[in-house]
Amino acid sequence: MSNVIAFDPCALLGTPVQTPLAHRVRSASSPEVTLAEAELTGLLVLRGDATDADFQAAVAEVFGAPLPKRLSTTESTQARLLWLGPDEFWIWCEVTALFTLEQSFRARFAGHCALVNNTGGFTRITVQGAAAQTVLMKSVPYPVYADVFPVGKVVATVFAKTQAVICRRGEQHWEVVARRSFADYIWRWLVDAMSTR
Amino acid sequence: MQKNRLSSGGAIDRSKPLTFYFAGRTFSGYAGDTLASALLANGVDVVARSFKYGRPRGVMSAGAEEPNAIVQLGATEATQTPNVRATQQALFAGLVSHPTNGWPSIRFDLKGLIGSLFGRFMPPGFYYKTFMFPQSLWMFYERHIRRAAGLGQSPIAPDSDTYDHLHHHVDVLVVGAGPAGLMAALTAARAGARVIVVDEQEAFGGSLLCSQARLNDEVGSVWVQQVVQTLAAEDRVLMLPRTTANGYHDHNFVTLHERRTDHLGDQAPAGMTRQRMHRVRAEWVILCTGAHERPLVFAHNDVPGCFVARSLSTYVRRYAVAPGERLVLSTNNDYAYQSAFDWQDAGRTVVAIVDARAEVVGVWQQAAERRGLRLIKGAAVTEVKGARRVRAAAIAMLSPDQRAVVGALTWLDCDTVATSGGWSPAVHLSCHTGSRPVWHEQLQGFVPGPTHEQVLSAGILSGQSSLPHCLKSGYQAAVQAVTAAGYAAPDEVQPTVQEWAEQPMLPLFAVPHPKPKSRAPKQFVDWQNDVTADAIELATREGFTAIEHVKRYTALGFGTDQGKLSNINGMAIAAQALGQTIAETGTTVFRPNYTPITFGAIVGRHCGDLFEPKRFTALHPWHVAQGAEFENVGQWMRPWYFPKPGESMQAALARECLATRNSVGVLDASTLGKIDIQGPDAREFIGRVYTNAWAKLAPGRCRYGLMCGEDGMIFDDGVTACLSEQHFQMSTTTGGAARVLEWLELYHQTEWPQLQVYFNSVTDHWASISVAGPNSRKVLQAMGTDIDLSAENFKFMDWRQGQIAGVPCRIFRISFTGELQFEINVPAHYAVTVWEQLFAAGAAFNITPYGTETMHILRAEKGFIIAGQDTDGSVHPYDLGMGWAVSMNKPYSFIGKRGLQRADCVRPERKQWVGLKTLDPQVVLPEGAQAVADPQQAKPMTLLGHITSSYYSAFLGRSFAQGFIKNGLERMGETVYYPLTNGQMVAAEICSPVFVDLQGDRQNV
Repeated sequence: MSNVIAFDPCALLGTPVQTPLAHRVRSASSPEVTLAEAELTGLLVLRGDATDADFQAAVAEVFGAPLPKRLSTTESTQARLLWLGPDEFWIWCEVTALFTLEQSFRARFAGHCALVNNTGGFTRITVQGAAAQTVLMKSVPYPVYADVFPVGKVVATVFAKTQAVICRRGEQHWEVVARRSFADYIWRWLVDAMSTR
Repeated sequence: MQKNRLSSGGAIDRSKPLTFYFAGRTFSGYAGDTLASALLANGVDVVARSFKYGRPRGVMSAGAEEPNAIVQLGATEATQTPNVRATQQALFAGLVSHPTNGWPSIRFDLKGLIGSLFGRFMPPGFYYKTFMFPQSLWMFYERHIRRAAGLGQSPIAPDSDTYDHLHHHVDVLVVGAGPAGLMAALTAARAGARVIVVDEQEAFGGSLLCSQARLNDEVGSVWVQQVVQTLAAEDRVLMLPRTTANGYHDHNFVTLHERRTDHLGDQAPAGMTRQRMHRVRAEWVILCTGAHERPLVFAHNDVPGCFVARSLSTYVRRYAVAPGERLVLSTNNDYAYQSAFDWQDAGRTVVAIVDARAEVVGVWQQAAERRGLRLIKGAAVTEVKGARRVRAAAIAMLSPDQRAVVGALTWLDCDTVATSGGWSPAVHLSCHTGSRPVWHEQLQGFVPGPTHEQVLSAGILSGQSSLPHCLKSGYQAAVQAVTAAGYAAPDEVQPTVQEWAEQPMLPLFAVPHPKPKSRAPKQFVDWQNDVTADAIELATREGFTAIEHVKRYTALGFGTDQGKLSNINGMAIAAQALGQTIAETGTTVFRPNYTPITFGAIVGRHCGDLFEPKRFTALHPWHVAQGAEFENVGQWMRPWYFPKPGESMQAALARECLATRNSVGVLDASTLGKIDIQGPDAREFIGRVYTNAWAKLAPGRCRYGLMCGEDGMIFDDGVTACLSEQHFQMSTTTGGAARVLEWLELYHQTEWPQLQVYFNSVTDHWASISVAGPNSRKVLQAMGTDIDLSAENFKFMDWRQGQIAGVPCRIFRISFTGELQFEINVPAHYAVTVWEQLFAAGAAFNITPYGTETMHILRAEKGFIIAGQDTDGSVHPYDLGMGWAVSMNKPYSFIGKRGLQRADCVRPERKQWVGLKTLDPQVVLPEGAQAVADPQQAKPMTLLGHITSSYYSAFLGRSFAQGFIKNGLERMGETVYYPLTNGQMVAAEICSPVFVDLQGDRQNV
């Protein structure tokens, strides 16, 4: 028996999917900000020793992009890798590609690591527009100025009274990753924050 | 009629007249006025009644230091704002204000009558001394004392405005935009630093807004405008006028209270928050908070018409208001002369300038002579006459040591008295950091002392008094800050300013009176709290020698005032009474907030629907549609029960319980914590954190475990499944999920880092659908699954992986009801699909959704504990009769093993968890009820233990309960008694905590 159990979360495609904000209109806008929940995206959480050369090589080979450095992201055609901590990385990919990637990584890397499918656990909310940064400043105590929070940077931080992973994807384009159960709170907070100057 | 309004000058807009209301009367002012300047323009002398004595009080300053003109603002109940200083409130059309003091009215204050007749008998501590006995009546007294004092009124209606927060991180935060602050901000901005500069006033400029000083040979406001324009063009600079740095917290975290729309109207315009709390983390803070002018202390110095000197310049030059006709100025320094000159330039009469310095000859004295003003040297105002307005001032010639009056008093007719006793730097923010201020001899004031924060001060706060030095100190502070923050220092660019030779000030705080302080008319030190010079002397005579004690005994510098005008004068009087210097006496310190702020700004958007996060499962919309009642479980909104239309809670619970025991019930168990554990040492690690053995748990199997703290006390429990040799999934209580994950990480990182294992929360990834009851297997089969659900191949405490209703799943055969039960886990995004299929397949079996209350009843019937309800941090596994879940023979120790062997854990007579059956089967004991052995025992009764779980069981047809009883496991069959708060005494028999299916026949089918 394998050391770790395999499980394909989308073995049968075609089953209706409810994203965490399915009960809301999944987009909103104000004069200077637009908000939208992304479609279901595959999420693998990878824990491992980032200083291990074989681990680094395996990540690069399987996901097509190197392990991201501190607070940053790397990207390939099939995956986007986020640094979450010294031994924790998130990998966003197509839901349909997730199981193959997971299996490939296990096949390629025999050392100690953990690879966990957390697709259902989070959702991505995009915040875009001229006032997007101000909306972030209302929400998180972390500095979000462009010179210290450039495109590609990612942090897990306090968000209002919960937490979120925030990533700058463009000058006026942010991604707020919310834990499923907190997604409604974060969504309502964002809608409120963008409604006032 | 604005009788005190000047026909020209000032920064007001005469083309925009504004109507406003004060104390029920209608007035008019101009755009650019403050409420105070508009009231003064209209000749309103009395704006308040004093706190303790009810004396008439007028505006006496022009800024944050104002102790008297504190008003209640708001046109509607929803917009009421107490504690607004009229001197800081910009005038807007339709402004409605009321005095916060004066009962029954400001014109006739009953307390004023009492104060004037009996004021002599109201020394400090009066209320405590007089109303102390009997002590039980203090609450009664206090209510009436408070109503008589009156400090404004809290609104009763919900606030119609919104407030928000904004987070900032800057290189340099400059507090105060006077000359030093503007120079510091300009310098930091030119270095390229990220800068915030704040000022509490409507406009930047500080003292330059009313000063006659010339910069670059132009009036000061021109330079101010140039700097403001330069700063506005910098995108790394944020300028915040109408913003008070209200608190300086640890680690250079400063909160800025911005009044964004208070100058626009009673309510904020649509789409805009009324106030904003800026939460600033600053690399460096430069305090340029300036100074407050000290009034002199003299007899009847609270009569309306008494001002601090500089405020007259402000009213004349900024607001074109001369609040009187005939001025007597009393000073001990050069700076106050300007106020008399401005008064004269406004076309008013300067009766005399009285200078405490006997031999002073300098540029200002010469200028006064050139202006033909009467200058009396070596003297000071010692008393004024008047009730609602000053009528005359008495001038006393001072002895060489200024301790006594020489000769007879000279009475001068006047309606306005301005005094200046020097300047007290505003060290308030510096004190918030814990810094003790130090005495500055030349300035005769306290300046910031050493601090551990990265903070600098500039301007008069740093001990500078002349304008060129203030500007230079602003530049120097900014250079020090920006270079430390890694920027290159910009060149120094200073405006040219003419210097003049200052004549040293004379330390003078309380002006002597022919009578001693205890016999002279009241000499006020702290107007807001009605503290007199006599009271401070009395406090020292009564043995209060430490300045902090004097403050507390007299209320000096209390409340929203925070001693802005009064502190130094109070110290000086105490010092003199104690025969020591002010430096020896020291000062009290100040606490946030610098001036009052609204609760709205503190709360921000964390209110109403956003007050607290609510966590939802994927199935929440279904529960809502079914009309579920919800309960909050550690932020999760869980269905509590599912009432049918018109059904009572008790009836719903009975229906849900019976449906589950007799057929099939469903619980949304998604909220339970789930932790994925992977690694070669996963099994070993789990064995160390649970009390029982895990070495032999095979893949495909589950086991229940108890988690204890080091003290051996239970803190969480749950079922963990072995997914494969190196892969486990742990479940935790709903509320304990985050704590357990943190606990595992903590022990991994600090105690056993050599173990190869990783923990990941998958709580939100999986939706858990718990199907319980004798027909549960049939329902799952009807849904269609590739998993063999037969009793032989899918045993109790097994788990299997496969598909159900076309969705990939893991099914755990575990039971929290005592029934045959399957917990279906599917990725949360498929939960609704599976749930709907489940109800379609279960319709034939009367499938019934149930909530947390039925879950509680079912588990209690079976004798299962809930960690946190049946445990409280003082309960170990043996107390619960769960010794079977502890393995003392594991090769490696486990957390709590040593704790469990402590003498206290193994002593006899511990409280043990047992079942309790009331003798009357219809009586449900309240949870928390305490047991006694002898119902006749006199109070205090000997308590044996309390009820932890208690319900009515529809299945059993009677009530039942569980709880702790001393030595309970050995007292089966005994009767104990529960005295209730309503006087009832309920008898109950001690029994097994398992009420349903002791043998486990129902769950092993």
